[in-house]
Amino acid sequence: MASFRFWPFAQTALKNLFSKPATTGYPFEPAHYPERMRGHVEIAVEDCISCGLCARNCPPRALTVDRAAGTWSINRFDCVQCGNCVNVCPKKCLKLAPQYTRPGAQKQTDTYTRPVPPGQEGPKAGARPANDQEKCVYCTLCAKKCPQGAIAVDRAAKTWALDGKKCIGCGLCAASCPKKCLTMK
Amino acid sequence: MAKRSIVPFGPQHPVLPEPVHLDLVLEDETVVEAVPSIGFVHRGLEKLVEMKDFKEYVYIAERVCGICSFGHGMGYCQSVERIMNAEVPARANYLRTIWMEMSRVHSHLLWLGLLADAMGFESLFMESWRLREKILDMFDLTTGGRVIFSVNCIGGVLKDMDSAMLSAIRSTVDSMEKELRPIADSFLRDFTVGSRLRGMGVLKPEQAVQLGAVGPMLRASGVSYDARALGYAAYPELEVEPVTADEGDSYARCQVRIGELYQSFSLIRQAIEKIPQGPISAPVKGNPSGEHFMRIEQPRGEAIYYVKANGTKFLDRFRLRTPTTSNIPPMLELLKGCQLADVPLLILTIDPCISCTER
Repeated sequence: MASFRFWPFAQTALKNLFSKPATTGYPFEPAHYPERMRGHVEIAVEDCISCGLCARNCPPRALTVDRAAGTWSINRFDCVQCGNCVNVCPKKCLKLAPQYTRPGAQKQTDTYTRPVPPGQEGPKAGARPANDQEKCVYCTLCAKKCPQGAIAVDRAAKTWALDGKKCIGCGLCAASCPKKCLTMK
Repeated sequence: MAKRSIVPFGPQHPVLPEPVHLDLVLEDETVVEAVPSIGFVHRGLEKLVEMKDFKEYVYIAERVCGICSFGHGMGYCQSVERIMNAEVPARANYLRTIWMEMSRVHSHLLWLGLLADAMGFESLFMESWRLREKILDMFDLTTGGRVIFSVNCIGGVLKDMDSAMLSAIRSTVDSMEKELRPIADSFLRDFTVGSRLRGMGVLKPEQAVQLGAVGPMLRASGVSYDARALGYAAYPELEVEPVTADEGDSYARCQVRIGELYQSFSLIRQAIEKIPQGPISAPVKGNPSGEHFMRIEQPRGEAIYYVKANGTKFLDRFRLRTPTTSNIPPMLELLKGCQLADVPLLILTIDPCISCTER
């Protein structure tokens, strides 16, 4: 019985003595991160339309979107990497990437500004879509693209209605319209 | 009568990962009574439900605790889904079950490590936690996080597992089962470990039921009750037989948790075999209205989720009764009559989770 109890420990001890350590030599050896790792939020700011959905759906309120200035800011130390902003982004310009934020003594806010090519400014702040009913074919693409569900289209009755309270002026409807009958005004 | 003295235990104590305070009334070295006080890590997370969108609250529910995080997210989502009559796709239910059982594995291995550490068996502690690291890597691979997963949403799950991930989990579980055997042997057959656990803190079945013990604590007293048998997620389609032991002492509690590790490995394998193809979430429209009471089996025992919704996007009330809350009265009972030196180990055998308890 004594040998029975002795051997498991001896085996483990010998195995541990001659096998590779269970830990890695980080930071001297680089860490390997899986593809899905939620380390920090990255933005392709040139695709951002400043709709502000990410900021409104951020549980710790770590995001600030300034539509007039075209900026997107994140407080890296408030962010909890839940990924809700990535899930709600209508343009899919946000993503979670590996690597955590480096530790620091002060809370750090990163601000990204959208480059605006001359003559290609996006919808103005407060702009709402206006429909040219003569051109409209009531295809409902705009209603399907609307991240807020603010557009109601009835193909049979040939009606197009906008809920001004829900609309956030992102311009996705105008961009998706195949007949180009929607304009942001 | 011997002279009575009061020894404060905690809130900061080497054996406690989280703060709880006990006033131990002693007669010489024997504990006569234990008076608990909690409230050191209260964060008011239940109140937050009134200020956050019900969909956003999933991320807060899972941050109630770092070990039971998946279960809390799932319990909350299932309550809201049942209020809204949302049909959760079968694949999402299976994925939830796999993640839930992986959570149980990592929670029980964490507990085994803490138990070994509490009795000064450092190498066994390291072996348990080395093994736990493998399941955390699987969480990292499939969800992107080691302890906070953010994969639950109202109506299903946010991330799918491809066949490569499922086979990685399968092979990890197989190798873990093999590696667990010598560790389990050390816990269950080693003389030194046995002398610290056998006959310590015996809880009789009738006491366990009367005092409201839940989870492994209840099953170690011979009561065969497991909330997984109630049928949520994919459990109705899997074979779940409650793991029980009869002695009701610390050793039995250790035995039940080790038995549940093997059971979880088997459930993960069953779920991987049976997982159907299909969507992983169903669209949920509108706001919930009504109330629901949901019970799920967390690694530490039965947890209760109560949600009351008023038809707006802010809920009226979210109440969470965690397993540790129910296990505190039986713990106080089994502390009576024990020696002061055994108190840390006995407190640990209920697997206390104070941040869950205080929310």
